[in-house]
Amino acid sequence: MALEMMMSGPDYMRDPRKHQFSPYANNGGTSVAIAGDDFVMIASDTRLSRGFNIFSREQDKVFPLTPKTMMASSGCWADVLTLNKVLQARLTMYSHEHHDMMSTTAVAQLLSTMLYWRRFFPYYVSNILAGIDEEGKGVVYHYDPVGHMEKLTFSATGESVSQIQPLLDNQIGGLNMLGVKPPTMTKDLARQLIHDAFVSAAERDINTGDGIIIHTITKDGKTEETVKLRRD
Amino acid sequence: MSILNYNGGCVVAMKGKNCVAIACDLRFGVQSQTITTDFERVFELGPQLYIGLPGLATDTQTVYQRLQFRIKMYEMREGRRMKPQTLMAMAQNLLYERRFGPYFVEPVIAGLHPSTKEPYICALDLIGCPCEPADFVVSGTCSESLYGMCETTWREDMEPEDLFECISQSLVNAFDRDALSGWGAVVHIIEHDKVTTRYLKCRQD
Amino acid sequence: MNTGKSHTMYPSTSGTSVVGLVYDGGVMLAADSLGSYGSLARFRDVKRLFKVTDKAALACSGDIADYQFIREVIEQKVRDDVCGGYTRELNAGALHCWLTRVLYNRRSRFDPLWLECVVAGYKDDEPFLGYVDKIGTAFEAKEVATGFGLHFAVPMIREAREKKQNLSCDEARKLLTECLKVLYYRDCRAHFKYQLADITPEGVTIHDDLNLKKETNWEVANYISGYE
Repeated sequence: MALEMMMSGPDYMRDPRKHQFSPYANNGGTSVAIAGDDFVMIASDTRLSRGFNIFSREQDKVFPLTPKTMMASSGCWADVLTLNKVLQARLTMYSHEHHDMMSTTAVAQLLSTMLYWRRFFPYYVSNILAGIDEEGKGVVYHYDPVGHMEKLTFSATGESVSQIQPLLDNQIGGLNMLGVKPPTMTKDLARQLIHDAFVSAAERDINTGDGIIIHTITKDGKTEETVKLRRD
Repeated sequence: MSILNYNGGCVVAMKGKNCVAIACDLRFGVQSQTITTDFERVFELGPQLYIGLPGLATDTQTVYQRLQFRIKMYEMREGRRMKPQTLMAMAQNLLYERRFGPYFVEPVIAGLHPSTKEPYICALDLIGCPCEPADFVVSGTCSESLYGMCETTWREDMEPEDLFECISQSLVNAFDRDALSGWGAVVHIIEHDKVTTRYLKCRQD
Repeated sequence: MNTGKSHTMYPSTSGTSVVGLVYDGGVMLAADSLGSYGSLARFRDVKRLFKVTDKAALACSGDIADYQFIREVIEQKVRDDVCGGYTRELNAGALHCWLTRVLYNRRSRFDPLWLECVVAGYKDDEPFLGYVDKIGTAFEAKEVATGFGLHFAVPMIREAREKKQNLSCDEARKLLTECLKVLYYRDCRAHFKYQLADITPEGVTIHDDLNLKKETNWEVANYISGYE
């Protein structure tokens, strides 16, 4: 934002009557996903904003794709909605053709391909995909807006990524701790970490707050819980 | 990119129980090229008084030298040690003198009051606007990551050893996610009777 | 950008805020009737709120021409549905979703409809209030506003809700007029004439030609000095 200000001058110097069309908007939002041996947790904050306005305090940004996968996206909300709609349609077409749900790995690849199709007019979206793979293990895939994909066991994305990611590196990845083995991930630990991470992010980032919705996926199905965050 | 991020680097300071800590990374680079990895940007200005000057390296050195000069003049004239609060005012004054052609540094001050030994930390922006919180201050190219780390790891009334662990983990994990800072770190733990300086071993990429 | 064909990249005659809220037993929507041409109050009686079906009403701020265009399209769509006779009546949820696609499509072709729309009505017997803007940003909420309304009206409605969760029809109407009054005082592009739609399970009622002028008080204006 500071950079925009420097390039176009302060807002009071701009002509209030002139509008400039931009096809993108930043609507904030932060997501975190953590995988365990037999589960995966994916969470996002519930604030939808633009600039200093809060559009909604209860907007879930995690979308169900198949019974075993979910996707969290944030960034330009218009693109999030569109990407999700197209992806849903592709999944339905697949299930009609194959009489089966798409596997998590296939969904992950499909998402990457779909993002790359818009390489020169990208979806302005940060994605994480979480699911249970063919062996019943939890997996997390992280994407950039143009379809670069990485398979991980934990990841953060969105507006507060820089606040949350180092914390996860340290607490889950066990980075920079001599003689300490990374913890085996349990649901309780994952929930606790997600909670702490979002509380810290909400403290320092105006675009993150209001609440968290935490989704848990296991082979038996999905559960969801909500936690409150500061609303200022 | 902003000139503040030209050389890279970061500083963090924290309050503990009767102690304060200040730490910085050691990288000196020119944009994405690393030049040296022994560039300390935290300086001793008194027995229990430290300042960190992340930002444009040339201004780091200039501001440090100018402050040193002013402190020496002050201590000669007054015949007593400088309080950290006074240093803050002095730095503020120095920076605001250049309001419309600023030094590109965002200082962090940490120290103990010379007589009461009261812990003190503060951060200033490049034109001298101060911020004196009760917990921690961060500055430099990975300040967002530092906020995330410090916000979760900082606790009230930490003993010097806990404070060392907290500030080190915060700094190292934060700058590991930043390309412009890292390559080693130095931590100063300031107590009423001693200052412990430790150099941290960390990833070199 | 010269592609041999240039598109409208800024609004011409435009309307300011639209405010809407959900209350106990319905949804209410209001918009003033000024069409501004830059800073000129050009048209003082433009309607920019209309009944779509018995289950939906739409109000827009932004470019008036684009609003009138989209209204034509929607009205034709509703007629087609009626003549076809086999589709369900277009409800607010469906209209909202449809608008999202149309507006997103136009922005992707770099030929946007310069609008911020508020859709109010019912979706499967549940009150519905949604927002869509010119790039396709869409959401549902219990209180929605566009333009200056986002800054003034939304906080007022949220504050009222903090005190009392469920608003009655009368309270909602009073609150909405209060919002419009504040907007008329503080938004230079706002006007005292306005339209208000009340959508209940029974249908859509549109009150045209409402007037705020008698309720406003400009005496304090004399105390403001130092800006001459």
